Amino acid sequence: MDTTQLLKGVLDLAVLAVVGDRDGYGYDVVRRLRAAGLEEVGDASVYGTLRRLYAGGHLTSYVVPSEEGPHRKYYAINEAGRAQLAASTGTWRSFTDAMDKLLGSGEEEAA
Amino acid sequence: MNDTITAEIARYATAVRAACADLPGPDRELLLEDLEDHLQEVAAEAGGPLSERLGRPEAYAAELRASAGLPAPGAGAVGAAGRRGRRRLRDSRAARGLAGLGAAVAGHPAGRAVAGFLPELRPAWWVLRGYLAVQAVAVAMTPLLSGGGFSFPVPRLFGSALLGLLATAVAVAGSVWLGRRGPGGTGRRVLLLAGNAALAVVAVAMLVELGGSEASGDLYRPDQVLTFAGPISGLRSDGEEISNIFPFDAQGRPLADVYLVDQDGDPVVATHYGNEYLEPTIPLDGNGDEVANRSPQVQHEVDAAGRRQPGPTPEFRPPPGPLRSP
Repeated sequence: MDTTQLLKGVLDLAVLAVVGDRDGYGYDVVRRLRAAGLEEVGDASVYGTLRRLYAGGHLTSYVVPSEEGPHRKYYAINEAGRAQLAASTGTWRSFTDAMDKLLGSGEEEAA
Repeated sequence: MNDTITAEIARYATAVRAACADLPGPDRELLLEDLEDHLQEVAAEAGGPLSERLGRPEAYAAELRASAGLPAPGAGAVGAAGRRGRRRLRDSRAARGLAGLGAAVAGHPAGRAVAGFLPELRPAWWVLRGYLAVQAVAVAMTPLLSGGGFSFPVPRLFGSALLGLLATAVAVAGSVWLGRRGPGGTGRRVLLLAGNAALAVVAVAMLVELGGSEASGDLYRPDQVLTFAGPISGLRSDGEEISNIFPFDAQGRPLADVYLVDQDGDPVVATHYGNEYLEPTIPLDGNGDEVANRSPQVQHEVDAAGRRQPGPTPEFRPPPGPLRSP
């Protein structure tokens, strides 16, 4: 199954989770998602998702001056973001439980 | 960071911005504000061409737009932000039809291929737009002063091709600057759109004008200059009409009844019509035919009282002899 298709549906949740864990700028979020195992996540998708979550009021942002590189725009989760993260996490858990059961029983039948 | 990488980043960023140029200003600014920073991080980390890691700039832009909930170029609205941006357009029925047509074109593989190619044509349009603007000004000034008007390929301002050339350089630079800056807010967007449409009309008018002048032959073309001189009758010297020929002998005495023929033995006939005050009298031969090549022709002047009398014979001073070959 194409992972990129799956990613599309859950990228909001993944990005909220990463930023909820710790504030981050665009590329930092890309890196942390990849480090967590979502290696096929597209750079542009992450940047676009950050923008949309910010525009939708789930994230706040602030600029951190950097000495060696460019000034970075950091994103932080806010209350609305945390509520969204909690709600999506709940949805995700019940969805994966259902899928696990389905796939688990399917394997047993096949065995 | 070396220059090659900096240049690659600039190129990539320009292409991404071009592919997002149709977005409303605030959406676009938010979407692209740290594009260069991102590209720098990728370049510093990955090595190798940016497109290897990020895909083609157009694909990057499409992914960015889709994930941000903004409409794909030329396609229908996607997501909340996209609906916001499109609300204005959707107000009119015609725009709905257009959007449907746009979606249909974007849905077809060939349509997608063409749509993907269009952003690459933008820089060419920016240059052409600058040139057209100068031509438009030059033509618009025609009623005000002589020496203006349509001139191809170099526009003339105040009758000067150099001024036209300078103005073109400035206008092209300005147009490219405008293009790279993006359309900005709604007001400027509408203004730009109207300006672009007007210049497109100028381009069409120019083509029509060019086609017309090409057909009638009054377009300057070096290879045609010698052959185009209008209808010619009689003799000319340096383009001036010769209305009569007066032969003289070596002593400077005028000769009468000299017959002039050309290299083929055909009569050489001076232009004996169209002279305002000389009335030609052409002798007739025994058969009643005109003898037009007898020189000089006797030409009559009409004086103030309306009387005809033979015109004057010009004076001729022969060159000092003896003549020799150089």
